[in-house]
Amino acid sequence: MTRLTQIPGLPPLVAAAGLLAAWELAARVFDISGLPPAHAALRELPVILTDKESLLNILDSIRRMVVGFAFALVFAIPVGLMMGRSRLTAAFFNPLLMIIYPVPKAALMPIIMLWLGVGDASKTLVIFLGVSLPVIYHAYQGARAVEEKMLWSAAAMGMDARARLTRIVFPAALPEIMVGVRTGLVLALITMVTSEMIARKQGVGDILFNALAMAQYETVYATIVIIGLLGFVIDVGFERLRAHLVAWAEPAHEIAAVGST
Amino acid sequence: MISIERLSKAFDTARGTSHLALSDISLDVAGGEFVSILGPSGCGKSTLLYIVGGFVPPSSGAVRVQGAAVTGPGPDRGPVFQEFALFPWKTVLGNVMYGLLEQGAPKKIAEDRARALIEMVHLKGYENFYPKELSGGMKQRVAIARTLAYGPSILLMDEPFGALDAHTRTGMQHELLEIWERDRKTVLFVTHSVEEAVFLSDRVVVLTRSPGRIKEISRIDLPRPRRRAELLVDRRYQDYVVAIEKLMDDPAEVRA
Repeated sequence: MTRLTQIPGLPPLVAAAGLLAAWELAARVFDISGLPPAHAALRELPVILTDKESLLNILDSIRRMVVGFAFALVFAIPVGLMMGRSRLTAAFFNPLLMIIYPVPKAALMPIIMLWLGVGDASKTLVIFLGVSLPVIYHAYQGARAVEEKMLWSAAAMGMDARARLTRIVFPAALPEIMVGVRTGLVLALITMVTSEMIARKQGVGDILFNALAMAQYETVYATIVIIGLLGFVIDVGFERLRAHLVAWAEPAHEIAAVGST
Repeated sequence: MISIERLSKAFDTARGTSHLALSDISLDVAGGEFVSILGPSGCGKSTLLYIVGGFVPPSSGAVRVQGAAVTGPGPDRGPVFQEFALFPWKTVLGNVMYGLLEQGAPKKIAEDRARALIEMVHLKGYENFYPKELSGGMKQRVAIARTLAYGPSILLMDEPFGALDAHTRTGMQHELLEIWERDRKTVLFVTHSVEEAVFLSDRVVVLTRSPGRIKEISRIDLPRPRRRAELLVDRRYQDYVVAIEKLMDDPAEVRA
């Protein structure tokens, strides 16, 4: 058993194959239209991925996700870091965050749609909110944990408070920030799909619900597989980037990674 | 060089009361002098160092360095902490260069000086290592080199060898004295080891238990350069250690 797990990539492949087999089997046993067999759903994958309109929809979703995610990082990291280093900032933002954190961001979608309509702006804003909160939280925790003596060492070199925040607190908190960013990535994907389910106009979520409305269940399942694969690719890519960026860190921030680890 | 005038420090405790950590400390340290501050844990000896460094403000009294009142940290006073406090995202070279670049030194000059210092603290070959790849003793050597790099005239050392094993510790004491003999910086050295204080210092300041007051200042009249192996069998060294140990054991201080 231990020898098998040493072959990189094998256990996840076995798990994926097992899931597909269970799916195929369940579909044959229950034989209902709402659960098409795995092979029928997978056959739809190339159809969706070669259809120009579907591809444009998928790219559209990804574009909103990237924009919402990027704005969230630019906003959330400085806010979290400042909260971690200033009691006043923390006292100001903390109650707000505690109220907003447990609210499913998709639940805000109806209100946001009233303000901004059903287009890009609403969906991007929801993604932005979904990503911001875990990133703020982890940046805050990371900044709070920065060793005082490290900041003093920098101060003795002549570094002022603002420079210490960007050049000492930020890199020192980076391993912790990356934990928040990874959660944020998953939330970006979730809020991306849910926002498109609520404000249906285009995007992956729209493909999904259109197929559902037209009882094209193979397409529904194939779309879910695409979303899952998208999440997987993003996560693996991010783990690579993270490992590269914080290779210097003590292994205290190691988090369970999808894939070979 | 350093003049500490009637310094006191009170902290607010979690219970809302005020705790007096340092009481009425006055001390003058001459340029090039090596002075140790010795005392039981919790006597405020580190706090005293942090106030001289400008990291912590005093409650009353003042610190002057070359006549100018200390209002904050500055590159004239370089700290070395027990926790090393290296920048973990920087390599050994990056850490040692950091203060020089911060002071506006050109990259080439900063790198040359950093490489020379890394060699001086016996870490040649480790330039591209990250702090997490180094042992405690090596980390502290990097921290010392990093502080020496930007040329402070005063070194503020806060139990720098406290986290090291006994063997590494004595080795580091020798290295520190060798470095100090070269350019005789003014050193304030906080420790709770009597042997360490006597071995290194020109003067040893003994503080009382909380609140920290100056109990006695002992001048250590031992010839330099000092070698540990020779001092251990030197009667004068032994006498200093015993006298100061007795001072620290004095039950009277509990009431002080």
